[in-house]
Amino acid sequence: MFRLCVAALATLYLSTAGCAVVRPHERQNLARRTMTEDRAPGQGRFLQHQTGSREGADGGTGEPGGGCGCN
Amino acid sequence: MQLSARRAVLVLVPAVALAALGAGAAPARADGEVTLAGAYYKERATRVMQPMLDARFDVGEAGVATGHMLVDAITSASIGVGGEEFAEKRVEGGATYTHEIDLYKIGGLVRYSTEPDYKSLFGGLRLQAELFDRNLTVTAAAMLGSDDFDNSGAGPTAPRREGALDTVLGSIGLAQLLTPNVVASVTYDVSQLDGEQANLYRFVITAGMQVDEKHPRSRTRHAVAGTVKWFVPASATTVIATYRRYQDDWEIDAHTPELRVLQDVGDGTVFATRYRYHRQDAAFFFQDDYAMPQELISEDEKLSAFSSHTLGAQLEMLGSVIGFTGTLGETRGQIVIEYVDQNNRFGNALVAHASLTVPFSY
Repeated sequence: MFRLCVAALATLYLSTAGCAVVRPHERQNLARRTMTEDRAPGQGRFLQHQTGSREGADGGTGEPGGGCGCN
Repeated sequence: MQLSARRAVLVLVPAVALAALGAGAAPARADGEVTLAGAYYKERATRVMQPMLDARFDVGEAGVATGHMLVDAITSASIGVGGEEFAEKRVEGGATYTHEIDLYKIGGLVRYSTEPDYKSLFGGLRLQAELFDRNLTVTAAAMLGSDDFDNSGAGPTAPRREGALDTVLGSIGLAQLLTPNVVASVTYDVSQLDGEQANLYRFVITAGMQVDEKHPRSRTRHAVAGTVKWFVPASATTVIATYRRYQDDWEIDAHTPELRVLQDVGDGTVFATRYRYHRQDAAFFFQDDYAMPQELISEDEKLSAFSSHTLGAQLEMLGSVIGFTGTLGETRGQIVIEYVDQNNRFGNALVAHASLTVPFSY
């Protein structure tokens, strides 16, 4: 099931990305703060810490979780 | 308690190598920002207050360094520790350095956390490449963690408890620009944990006996998350939809969709709302009640089957909106309030976060 989910996401991703070309002068909206990082630096870290100590699931952010004795 | 020298070296070598890379950068006028923040978490039996300080600054022409320091002040009548209230402080510090070389970025991170009975050291490397005229960004990361637990400072009458946990995390991510207003990304994380993963203070009451919690010593975790960000120019609205699927070999299977809507309200003000749903199955050895002691036994509520709903609101405003100019005009304030409704023994929770980010040049 998990492999199927990964495969489906990858297929969807590749099928939508294959023909996409956005030129540099078209990227002003993509550079907006709401489209890049709209959270304060510590907010995302606290959020991950909070859910990591209250849920059995973690990850998907590319950042390490855990790191405390709060399990 | 000391972290083992071998593991400390494993974690620190990448960080030192990157620090050396950054030290060679040419000095130049540069920018940075400092963020002062505080977070608050309250549920039925636990309260956490966390003041934190974050800094980010340019290093030479091609480097960016960040650092953070925080204190977790935890007060808890912890479930499973006999209902006794305890208070504890955790101090964490961390740093990253990222160096840009043409279309590539190489970065390192190190993070250290210390509590009276728990030390944790994490370090790693991250590589990023921007391909196809910067339409596609590929990121890969590898990280190592080393945790040590030891309550020898608790006094001669407390039963001696100690343990260690090693973590290896690998991550790969893709981000693709789809249109001038839409970007999609996928991140896959896999981590391997080996060592003590039970809470060494927690116990289970079964058949009239008090049995120490015992979890498997190995755990392999997989998580894949897909995100689409869409900016709607006509209304200046940004919609961010995320779905995460998680599985591990403790048989926890979790689905976590999330939707955020961020609305520009005039120049320098953004109002955002957030909804997150989380549903997970129980770990294979978790039971609400154990009739008899078992080899693997747990009182850890986060390994149970449950679901939760999170509703949140966020307001961000620049100082210029209320008449400040110069540095104060560019200072950014942010307030976040969230409510977590969850059907487990933790009970519902209130979360708040406030921050002030001040830019500077040097």
